[in-house]
Amino acid sequence: MPMQNPEGNRTTAALAALARRAGPDADAAQIAVAMAAIWREISAALTPIIGNRGAAALYQRSVHLSTALHPWLSVLMNSNAATLDASELEPLLAQQTRAEAMVGGSDLLQTFQQLLASLIGASLTERLLRSVWNPL
Amino acid sequence: MSSKVNIKQLATGVPGLDAVLGGGLPEFSFNLIAGQPGCGKTTLAHQIMFALATQERPALFFTVLGEPPLKMLRYQQQFDFFDSEALNQSVRFINLSEDAMAGDLDRVLRRIVEEVTTHSPGLVFVDSFRSVVLASQGNGDSHNKLQQFMQQLGMLMTSWQATTFLIGEYFTETDANPVFTVADGLIWMRQSVERNSMVRKIEIMKMRGQPTLPGPHTFRISSKGIKVFAPLSTHSLESGRTISPAIASRALLGVPALDEMLGGGLPRGYSLLVAGPSGSGKSILAAAFLAEGARCGETGVIAAFEQRPDRARNPLVARLIEEGRIGLVDSQAPDVSIDEILLLITDEIQRLKATRVVIDSLSGFELTLAPTFRADFRESMLRMVSALAATGVSVLMTSELEDRYTDLRFSPYGTAFLTDAIIVMRYIEVESRLRRVMAVVKVRASAHSDQLREFSIGADGIHVGEMVGNLDGLLGGRPTRKAAAEPPPAHANGADRV
Repeated sequence: MPMQNPEGNRTTAALAALARRAGPDADAAQIAVAMAAIWREISAALTPIIGNRGAAALYQRSVHLSTALHPWLSVLMNSNAATLDASELEPLLAQQTRAEAMVGGSDLLQTFQQLLASLIGASLTERLLRSVWNPL
Repeated sequence: MSSKVNIKQLATGVPGLDAVLGGGLPEFSFNLIAGQPGCGKTTLAHQIMFALATQERPALFFTVLGEPPLKMLRYQQQFDFFDSEALNQSVRFINLSEDAMAGDLDRVLRRIVEEVTTHSPGLVFVDSFRSVVLASQGNGDSHNKLQQFMQQLGMLMTSWQATTFLIGEYFTETDANPVFTVADGLIWMRQSVERNSMVRKIEIMKMRGQPTLPGPHTFRISSKGIKVFAPLSTHSLESGRTISPAIASRALLGVPALDEMLGGGLPRGYSLLVAGPSGSGKSILAAAFLAEGARCGETGVIAAFEQRPDRARNPLVARLIEEGRIGLVDSQAPDVSIDEILLLITDEIQRLKATRVVIDSLSGFELTLAPTFRADFRESMLRMVSALAATGVSVLMTSELEDRYTDLRFSPYGTAFLTDAIIVMRYIEVESRLRRVMAVVKVRASAHSDQLREFSIGADGIHVGEMVGNLDGLLGGRPTRKAAAEPPPAHANGADRV
């Protein structure tokens, strides 16, 4: 699936959120913690609206698309997933180098965001995930 | 002061729907939106929701199994009324599919109550109800469980001061579904297909405590959402005309001799039928009528069903349309209904404050209508004529008339009695030439000429000539010369008034 990025600033928003949470000098473990927190919030924002299975399907599709660049993500693939559960992502990221954790983690996030935007549009995606990028 | 409860009516934000509902949607009512898949139920629900939801009166939209919410959001955001910014503010979508999938209605109800308690919504939508029904079928005694569920939901929502909508599918109207009894309002949406035309209709089967407009009403779905074509109520418009014996004001047709034949022009507020065979000059007379109005500073509206748009219209009318002195109603949409056309015409009348309306022609109009409306063409015509009359405009309608020389008829629909005045045009054969004659057949409550006058059409319009005096049997199409050598009177006007 082509994953064009119609709005580059979305990527920046995801990366910025990650950088803000993990801090500039974060190591892989800290990035993993921050990333897991972001996914929990995404799950909390989307699951009530699109359901557990709907959110799980989007996450699994994003994982699948991201394995092209980061094959190590493939252990997250689970065709039976009933919920958006990123708990396995945290230890996985922690095992990577700092750079790979940062890039792989944010690519997955970005893929998810673009996938959602391709389905419901950038503005609705932004609306639904606003609380994740800009926590009050 | 009355101590009776005052039921507030909510404006639905769907054009035409409030009129059909009898003023709006009763607050805290429990409503069912039913119909086949694809008939616009979810669109109607969303349009109402986005129109009514505010921070103070938030809306909860429960999706239960029906279409996946992602898809619903994907397609519904195409409509103008969909406001992304309202999400998670005044509008909240909540997915209950997993609860419903378990087949436990109590659990679904509990979830709804939880969410309603948390968010205190003023509006609650449950889409779709069919999946609730299906979910209930897993357990025995589903009918009773469902009834219980409905009653509890209805009671709860009313007590929580929420106006509630259940969106349902596949109902048959004769089915004694328990939900019909519980619901305060039943909104039925249909797609009727006849031959290769499809018409959408909406009907309010029930709305407690309100005088709804009965019967099905057509609607269309565009990028703006749903628009219902409510029939124009003659009461809602300004006072109807009062026909006084001395009709003070007349609208001239722009053909002086013909105005004279009518007794001084067409009385204002009258409808005039111009009937004649193809090519006899009906559209030219209609153009003269509009041009005369424009000359006197009046505006007009023409509903054109005759000419194809790629062919040149009457240049006079075309110029007036361009100058904005005549509004053009030229519906190219397929499968239109009379109410839709009528609404287009009255919108133009109001926009231009028009005093003259031309419908050219009724025959073309009938062909434009979806087949399902053609059967009621006469009734619909009556409605249209009276609705237009109620606006106070003078209406000229043309009607194709097959020239049958054995009988004298004025319109193929038996619509002649509906109109206040009739002009008929005929061809006659005289000395191996086709010549045209016209006569004023009727002008209600007014004196008019009874002459059959010859007329010709030139570059500058219609010229009415003399009475065809020395011929008999004109209406038979093949007149014979009178035996007597008496010359015809030069000017017969004045003496021939009835």
